[in-house]
Amino acid sequence: MSDTENPFEIAYARERQARLKAEQLLEDKSRELYLKNQKLEESYNRLQQQQAVAMQNEKLATLGTLSAGVAHEINNPLAFVLSNLESLPIYKQALLRLLELNQKYLKDPGVPENYRNEIADLIEKEDLDFIGEDMHGLIDDTIEGIQRVKEIVLNLRSFARTQNCDRVEADLCAGINSTLKLLTSELKTGVTLKLDLQPLPGIVCNPNQLNQVFLNLIMNAKQAVEGRENPTITIKACCDDDAVRIQIADNGCGMPPEVQKEIFVPFYTTKPIGQGTGMGLAIAYGIIKDHGGKISVKSAVDQGTVFVISLPLWGRAEGAETGVAEAVSD
Amino acid sequence: MKGIIFNVLEDLVIKQCGIQGWNEVLSENPEATGIYTASESYPDEELFGLVGSVARKLEMPVAGVVETFGIFLFHQLAERYPMFVEQPENLREFLLSIESVIHIEVRKLYDSPNLPNFTYDESSQDQLVMHYQSPRKLCILAEGLVRGAAEYYNTPITIEHPVCMHQGANHCDLIIRFGNV
Repeated sequence: MSDTENPFEIAYARERQARLKAEQLLEDKSRELYLKNQKLEESYNRLQQQQAVAMQNEKLATLGTLSAGVAHEINNPLAFVLSNLESLPIYKQALLRLLELNQKYLKDPGVPENYRNEIADLIEKEDLDFIGEDMHGLIDDTIEGIQRVKEIVLNLRSFARTQNCDRVEADLCAGINSTLKLLTSELKTGVTLKLDLQPLPGIVCNPNQLNQVFLNLIMNAKQAVEGRENPTITIKACCDDDAVRIQIADNGCGMPPEVQKEIFVPFYTTKPIGQGTGMGLAIAYGIIKDHGGKISVKSAVDQGTVFVISLPLWGRAEGAETGVAEAVSD
Repeated sequence: MKGIIFNVLEDLVIKQCGIQGWNEVLSENPEATGIYTASESYPDEELFGLVGSVARKLEMPVAGVVETFGIFLFHQLAERYPMFVEQPENLREFLLSIESVIHIEVRKLYDSPNLPNFTYDESSQDQLVMHYQSPRKLCILAEGLVRGAAEYYNTPITIEHPVCMHQGANHCDLIIRFGNV
């Protein structure tokens, strides 16, 4: 190496060091950018989930208000329609007796002929024989229909319930066990039931309402595992510092995300027409909301569904008092 | 191939033959610009052409140059990325971390870095079998890198290479025996 080359080589080595440092800086920044981007993506996904939950809750809250209003408005006319309808069978009997009496007098030669003819003409003209027969069916169907309307209104009121009555301290495990007793015949057909109920502290609640929630969820689980291999329903209960958690899981048909989004909406059902009211989970949501708790669902098609109910240990939580409950669909 | 590999080859040639030697290697390969940035990708053929010229210049077989380059490359990379060699306690641990740590970190920095794939047979304590797979078939470079790592961890090794992609196999087996075998 000659002396004239030395300064250039020294400068080359210096430049090379500078470039290495620049490249190191670039890599450090790239790594930082990657990590920040990763965090940003996580935050974005979380935000999207929270936004979906918030929208769902808002929708359910609106539906709750609407349902309460509609239920209230329908309930008043419904009460007198039902009351009137209950009188109709008695009135019907009276009218039919009159009709029968007329038929009897029509055959009685002692009754003046012009009188008999006038009645016979009227009976024929108004088709009163047919009306007499048809009235039975019409009144029965109407009463049945109005009873269904009454049930729907009751369900709507359950979904939108705002009253905080009949709260007592109760053991939820006892509630689950009594609900299971009710369902013994439903569950005995080949469904394996796994229970892991840890002792829970008593919580202030409406045990009847919560039992209805358990009943709805267990019935749904039972229907989801029908026709599946090794149908299993697992119910777990546990408690941590601030809440009790009840988990009802099945290895049934599961639900796609688009169904999971809608399950707490009143009248949403995947069952064939006439087989489900679509109110079971909406009512469950309303009851859990009323208790200041949360109900969430995780589900995968062909793998199963897990519902988790979380209820605050000490009566109503602040969220419930301000009407904020969460329905979380993962 | 990433520019960093070209940079290290340049360092090796300058160390062995001076700047003039590197200029001669570049002039033998008109397609090679000689302007390489670590994080950029350049055609593999460009590197292979440069390595061929280096082999002719040093009057060494290409395989020998590639292996020597692999050893040198390891030490250069260890200097640039000390965290990857400081973490593992020994050579075996380091070799096992190539796929599970180093390649994951590389993927964070570069889009489609075209890394080779390593799987391992860890059934024996005295040896480690590395199954190498890469469309570039740079198994000799991998051998050199392993030897460089052995020098770094001061661990004597022998390497057997009974299954090779250059002999028609779909992967290479590098059997690394630890200690003075």
